[in-house]
Amino acid sequence: MTDKPEDKLPSIEQIADLLIDIACELMTSGAHTMRILQNVSRMAESYGYKLDLSVFQLSIMMTITSKDDESKRLTLNRKTKPLLINYKFVSNLSSLSWDTYDKHLTYKEVKERFHEIISEKRVSRWLILILVSFANASFCGLFKGDIYAVGLVFIATLIGFFVRQEMMIRHVNHLVIYASSAFIAGLIAGMGYIFHLGNTPEIALASCVLYHTPGVPLINSVLDIIEGHILTGISRLVNASSLIACTAIGLFSAMLLLGLDKL
Amino acid sequence: MTTPEMIQLIIIDGVMAAVTAIGFAISSNPSRKAILISALLAAIGHGMRFVFIQSGMDISVSTFIVATLIGLLSIFFARIIHCPAEVFSFPSLLPMIPGLFAYRTILSLIKFMQSTDSVKNQGFIMDFFHNGMTTLFILLALVVGVSLPVLLFPKLSFSVTRRY
Repeated sequence: MTDKPEDKLPSIEQIADLLIDIACELMTSGAHTMRILQNVSRMAESYGYKLDLSVFQLSIMMTITSKDDESKRLTLNRKTKPLLINYKFVSNLSSLSWDTYDKHLTYKEVKERFHEIISEKRVSRWLILILVSFANASFCGLFKGDIYAVGLVFIATLIGFFVRQEMMIRHVNHLVIYASSAFIAGLIAGMGYIFHLGNTPEIALASCVLYHTPGVPLINSVLDIIEGHILTGISRLVNASSLIACTAIGLFSAMLLLGLDKL
Repeated sequence: MTTPEMIQLIIIDGVMAAVTAIGFAISSNPSRKAILISALLAAIGHGMRFVFIQSGMDISVSTFIVATLIGLLSIFFARIIHCPAEVFSFPSLLPMIPGLFAYRTILSLIKFMQSTDSVKNQGFIMDFFHNGMTTLFILLALVVGVSLPVLLFPKLSFSVTRRY
């Protein structure tokens, strides 16, 4: 395994495979299109290749052409995994691309570092659960909710977010996850109305589903549209808006169930 | 309102915004330094918006100004810790999401759907448009404001992860 000829001169297939894997990983981790394009082209350039990339919501298409020999070219199309935002990957892969460009890392080194980066573990889900609950509770505080409202929102987020995590592990449809998790959180936060807790039950109900805000897809879609990748931008926008709509439907049904004459 | 009271309110506001930013930053799994910076930016941003609104400025205009400022600051911090600027922008904008307006929009929509009294219905329509438009404009101000600096300095914002 040590002295393969490819260590010195990787073939076009190997380079293309590695680059499209990096592009797919960037897409899955939540980078916007321009960043994917720039990172991957930069790496291709350091190996003496030109690169054209089309990014779609579910797949990435790439044509790689040798700069010395125009007849040496290859087109690949690869499916991306569903969005799982991970900014540590985005920033490490971005650094890797600059390092490849500046230090002329060999194919083998890049591949090793790529696998090192993507095998890094995420933060524990329980820590995320607790911190998101605190975050949503302080959201309620920002909207000037009283202590009862803040407590209710904390409990509602704890349960709603836990349900969302459990359903995500079981690969339920995303829209169903958002709607049902918002429904549960809405029902719990609505208890403030039923038992007359505090003076601001309205604020508890308003802030209990805010942990669903799909901020990263929204910001990415605006960046994409402004930078001219309109198709990708619109598909991200539709994705984010359908998640928002499902959250609203969940909250809507919880409010209908609680009875509107009280609200 | 006296000055010490005001300062106290601003500090409470900033601290709560920071807690919110930390919680939402961690779900996108950035590095530890990035989480702290998003908390700092959120506190600065929300505190400033609080001051603007107290001094009588329109909520969407003040949101736009603050979002642009956060965009600029995040490029500055991105250069220091070598990490893309988008990493901070979402969590530090999050405390400014118009949740209450969005909720009131849904509420007036449901009330309009269920009521049969046409005089009341006119009020619900007014509520729906007022709250819905405010939500929409604040959201637009947030995303456009924060992406402006990335557009103005594209070279700068794409080379922040370069170490040489």
